[in-house]
Formats: sequence, structure tokens, C-alpha cells
Amino acid sequence: MSAHEHAETRKFPLNNANSSPSILESLKQDYLSAPDEALVKWSQSGNTEAFEQLVFRHRDKIYARALLMMRNEEEALDLSQEAWVKSWRRLHQFQGDSSFATWMTRIVINLCLDQIRRQKKVRTESIEQLDEELGGVERQMAVDHTNPTEGLEKDELRKRIDDAMGKLTESHRMVLVLHEFQGLEYKEIAKKVGISIGTVMSRLFYARRRMASLLRGLQRERTED
Amino acid sequence: MKLEQALEIQAHADGQLALGRRAEVDRWLRENPVAASLRTELVTVRQAVREHEPDAIVPVTREFYWSQIQRRIAVEEAALNRAAKTGSISSWVRWLAPALGVAALALILTLKSGAAGGLADATVMTFRSDNDGLTIHWIN
Repeated sequence: MSAHEHAETRKFPLNNANSSPSILESLKQDYLSAPDEALVKWSQSGNTEAFEQLVFRHRDKIYARALLMMRNEEEALDLSQEAWVKSWRRLHQFQGDSSFATWMTRIVINLCLDQIRRQKKVRTESIEQLDEELGGVERQMAVDHTNPTEGLEKDELRKRIDDAMGKLTESHRMVLVLHEFQGLEYKEIAKKVGISIGTVMSRLFYARRRMASLLRGLQRERTED
Repeated sequence: MKLEQALEIQAHADGQLALGRRAEVDRWLRENPVAASLRTELVTVRQAVREHEPDAIVPVTREFYWSQIQRRIAVEEAALNRAAKTGSISSWVRWLAPALGVAALALILTLKSGAAGGLADATVMTFRSDNDGLTIHWIN
């Protein structure tokens, strides 16, 4: 089926306009309780209400992943919406090899990477990035035997990790997100970002050491308070 | 510790160290407390980050969020339909253009030869077969 034919069969907005109110109500209930797999199937056949339910279900996660990458609410909102548009267009390609949420996070991450690449074209490398290439401070930092996460509550730790990630450079954060949250291996990250495996390893190392250092700094602040 | 060693310790912790290097890195970790501490630190950070992924809530209402997605899809599908229509017209033009060119050339040649008095010399032969229901005109 061509892209045109595909668009023809999945017009917006859909379709249940002629149905009676009671049928619509029961359909809404179905959407609320249906598993993702069923919603995806219905969406693949052009049902926008099923797709809308998928959006409602996963929008925060997709937005959070974009925000983690971009560190900018407006961009994250825009890219997360773009991811949903793209997923609607490509829904026929989703085979169920992974969960729908995983498939969606891949789409949003790819959009973020494209956006970062576009922005990088007009931006020069920061002093911090140059420092990393020369052997950043964290690489030479002595290894501390204390646990950088010890004594922190779950919610507090989540907040601290978010703050610490915001302090990483874009290129380090990118590699960290792809490795820890997308679960990609070094070689997969290298291919996706367009850098060598060695650079992936050193960026990941730098990012983790910096995270450890930032979390320890926060611990110290706490004990001093 | 050299950077290369540190990176191998990290790869060891991530389960991505080449098989041939494992025994050597295992030995470092056994014999060197700094190497062992570094591995522990890297694993601790990895675990903490994975288990505490920062969450966020879409900062607009769900209706507004969805309406913007709907609008973008509608715009995109309209553009797709336009492109598809333009595509089908242009494919017709692609087929017709050579035929129109040949027809125009034939017309020009005919008119030219007509203007030069060529048509005055033309001879026409006609053959008709009633049995076959066929008529052939031959213009020379």
C-alpha cells in the first residue's frame, strides 16, 4: 500500500460520528480498559480514538524522555507531539516486537537526536567539551570509597539525578540517556550518534564520574545543613 | 590508573568487555583496590540512574496536547494528499509530453511541406474491403 493510499484509509478526524451516544459511551469504556496491544491494532486500522487513548496513556513518559534529552520544556513539548504525529504515520510498521511505549521512546529519542544535530551545526563546541577531549577533571578525579547515593530518599534521589543530569554537557547526557534508559550497547550508541565506540565509552565514563561527584556534593551539602 | 584501564573497567561493569580482556581486568580488580572502587562507583551510579529516571508531566492540558497533535496530523495528511494528486498529474504529463511533442513536430512538418507546395503533389490511394469492413487511406 502506497503512502497516499495509506493516508486515504486513515482520515482524520474519525469516524464514529454517526454512532449512537450509548455505543460511543461503551466504546470509550473499551478504550479505557483495553491493553495497549488492542489500542494499537484499532489505531492501525484508522481509529483515532484508540490512538488518542494511547497518547493519554503514554504522553508523560514520552515528554519526560524528550525533556531529559533537551532540558527545555518548549522543545520537549514540541518534539513529544511530533513523535506522536510520526508514530501515527508509521503505525503500520509497528510489529509488536517491543512494547508500544518502547517503540514510542525510540521515535522521540531519534527526533531529539536530529534536533540536537541541527542545533550543533550552528553552535561551536563549548570549553567544557574541549576540556573533555583533553582529559576532563572527572577522569583524573580520585576514586571516592563512599556510596554517592547513600542516605538519599527515593524521591530526593530522583530529583538530585535530574539536577545532576542538567549539569552534564549535552553530548554526555545524550550518551548516558541512550545507555541507561534506552538500553543501547556502546556500538549501537556509536552508530546512532555518529561517533566512535571509544568516544562513547569515554563520554559515558565522564558522565558517570561527574554524576557521582555531583551526588556526593549534594550529600555533603546535606550533612553540613 | 590510565584512562584506557578505567574504560575497560567500565566495559567490564557494563558486560561489554571483549572476552579476551576479561581475565586481565578481573586480575586488576582483585589486586587493585582503586580499580575495584572505581567499578563499584560506576555500577552504583548506573543503578541509581536507571532506577530513578527523572519523570515529568506534560505542562498543558491533555485536551490541548491532543488537539495540537490532531491538527498536525490533519495538516500533514492534507499535504500528503496534495502531493499525491500533484504526483498523479505529473505522471500523466510525463506520458503525454513525448506524444504531444511528436504530434506538434508532425504538424509543423506537414504545414511546412504544405506551404512549400508539397501537398499539391500529394497522391492519395484508398483501398476498401467490404468483406473485412476495412478502409485504408495511403497518402504519399
